[in-house]
Amino acid sequence: MSILIDEDTRVVVQGATGNQARFDMRYCLEYGTRIVAGVTPGRGGETVEGVPIFNTVDAAVRATGADTSVIYVPARGVVDAILEALDAGIRTMLSLAENVPRHDAARAVAAVRRAGAHLVGFNTNGLISPGKCKLGGIGGDRAHALFPPGRIGVCSRSGGMSAEFGLALGAAGMGASTVVSMGGDPIVGLRVAEVLRMFEADPDTDACVIYGEPGGTHEAEAVAAIRAGELRKPVVALVVGAFQERYPQGASFGHVAAMISDPADSATAKRRLLADAGVRVATTLDEVPTLLRAALAT
Amino acid sequence: MKLLEDAAKEALRDAGIEVPRGVVAAGADEAAAAARELAGDGGRVAIKALVAAGRRGKGGAVAVVDVGQARGAAERILGLELQGAKVARLWVEQAVDIASELYLAFAWGTLAPRLVVSRHGGVDVESAGHADPAALVTREIDPVDGLRTWQAAAAWDAAGVPSALVPKLAALTVALYRAFRACDALMLEVNPLAVTPAGAPRVVGAMMEVDDNALFRHPAWEAMAEDSAGPGGRPLTAGERAVAHANRTLPGGATRYTELDGDIGLLVSGGGASLYQHDLVLEYGGRPANHTDFSPAPTPDKLVAVIDAIFARPQVRGLLIGCNVLQLARCDLIVEALAIVLRRRGIDASRVPIVLRLFGPMEAEARAIAAQFPGVHYLPAGTSLAQACREIVEAVRALPAGADA
Repeated sequence: MSILIDEDTRVVVQGATGNQARFDMRYCLEYGTRIVAGVTPGRGGETVEGVPIFNTVDAAVRATGADTSVIYVPARGVVDAILEALDAGIRTMLSLAENVPRHDAARAVAAVRRAGAHLVGFNTNGLISPGKCKLGGIGGDRAHALFPPGRIGVCSRSGGMSAEFGLALGAAGMGASTVVSMGGDPIVGLRVAEVLRMFEADPDTDACVIYGEPGGTHEAEAVAAIRAGELRKPVVALVVGAFQERYPQGASFGHVAAMISDPADSATAKRRLLADAGVRVATTLDEVPTLLRAALAT
Repeated sequence: MKLLEDAAKEALRDAGIEVPRGVVAAGADEAAAAARELAGDGGRVAIKALVAAGRRGKGGAVAVVDVGQARGAAERILGLELQGAKVARLWVEQAVDIASELYLAFAWGTLAPRLVVSRHGGVDVESAGHADPAALVTREIDPVDGLRTWQAAAAWDAAGVPSALVPKLAALTVALYRAFRACDALMLEVNPLAVTPAGAPRVVGAMMEVDDNALFRHPAWEAMAEDSAGPGGRPLTAGERAVAHANRTLPGGATRYTELDGDIGLLVSGGGASLYQHDLVLEYGGRPANHTDFSPAPTPDKLVAVIDAIFARPQVRGLLIGCNVLQLARCDLIVEALAIVLRRRGIDASRVPIVLRLFGPMEAEARAIAAQFPGVHYLPAGTSLAQACREIVEAVRALPAGADA
């Protein structure tokens, strides 16, 4: 087992004829990911990397039974691409689009959540269940070396840091069940607490690692789930960006931030919040395997 | 991008919302003439510093005066210094007769916009909110359905405004939400939201921050976009301006550079890894001379600008180049950029520690370039980011006192 994707996942790639999509598809196919269809309106009937291209997601799903979509459509078209995938019955999707306008992101995520679907991203570099399936650019051409299979669930706000986690776990003789690169944007489709609940339900995950940055309420929600007894597997956290607290902040622009913002969204406050809930908080990636071992031994 | 008051109010007017008529004035004479033109000889005007800062009222940068006193008020505000810079321009507008002051804002919550309203507006809105928390009401807005009139009415009702005002405020609030959305705003604050003696709600103070990622839908603002403020709102330094210029004009992804007080230059990439390495350099007792976050580029030019800006500062005694293990930029182009600056500035890398943690495409070529500069320490494959941070901190600490680039 693993979460979100496994060896049975059947993938459609939206925007499959673009350069980045082709580049990633080659390595995903080599890895063994079952990419069964691509979609680019106007290019139906062609093939890319041996994969048949369709004009619409609906046609791709009907012809191939795809159940998961990797969306390379850039920011300007991504809301439509997500709505099209939902309409075609896709319930797991990734969006690699960067710089998605906030209002668009909110609308797309609200639609995805209403449908009971899962969106990884925006601005994710991918998702990997080592040895089974990888989506997006995660791991590049070195996915086997960077992400050995194992029993640790990884949930990271940064794509680059997901690879560092894979490296650190591998160096310690450990590996991952699934690595979720959540996407670094303020609005992303999944909450860290939701990913942790999926790992909680996964019999092949023994413990989780989360990586966070300043801003947002992901960690506070995870702590609420831990305190509610929903998450019993050990969690190790790395939260970076504490340096920002040492430097002058931007001048206030309006009052609203001071009136409604959560004071607990600095890196230091998040570390404290997590530690108080029993999460083991690392200062460096190098400590993460040791903390995991200690957590699993208790 | 923060819109100044003139642009914010123009955007609201374009959205069909009534705002006081006003103009921008560059000096006291212009302000006095504008005041007469807007309000007539017996009228009253509001004169405000045209700066991207909140709390202007508290800082004495807003005056409501008779037209005859407009010049004096303008001169006084033009003499003020806000955020480290003199006030250069004023916003002059017709004064509104105010019976009471309310507050309204739209901002972003976790996944959706929020409406914030209070029956206490004006310069003391934050302290009033603490003193009377029941008057401050926050409501989440569904991003698909938008804000319904009855939801806006319920928020104002809960805030405790007089019943007769509720329908008028609800209608204005829905119109403002439409503007917030049409403008791709990250924040829209109306303070005060004035109530006239006749009982009509009027937008008086307005500020708006719009989403840089949505400027493609707003070409007029795109042309104005020029981020001119460093941390704490200070003006950009020469080095920061040079990098900002390179960032705009040279090929490659977004590259940010902010100067700080320390002595270790950081050329670190990847949103997460740049934060992580900055934390660790501090953790190990080092003092970063800057923060950066750079993205891949097809040529070394943009990085040359960043590395040159770093070494242009005499306080810089070492450099860490640290990238994620899986980064897709060509390593040789990054090291070539370093080589160009070392040659140009005649920097002896055996006296200025330079540590590279850089793996990925064309790594062998990159190592060969680095090998031409004795003292450049290119860390072996598998070295962690933490080890790289420790390495540069210890190398700089080991330098004899007073040595510099």
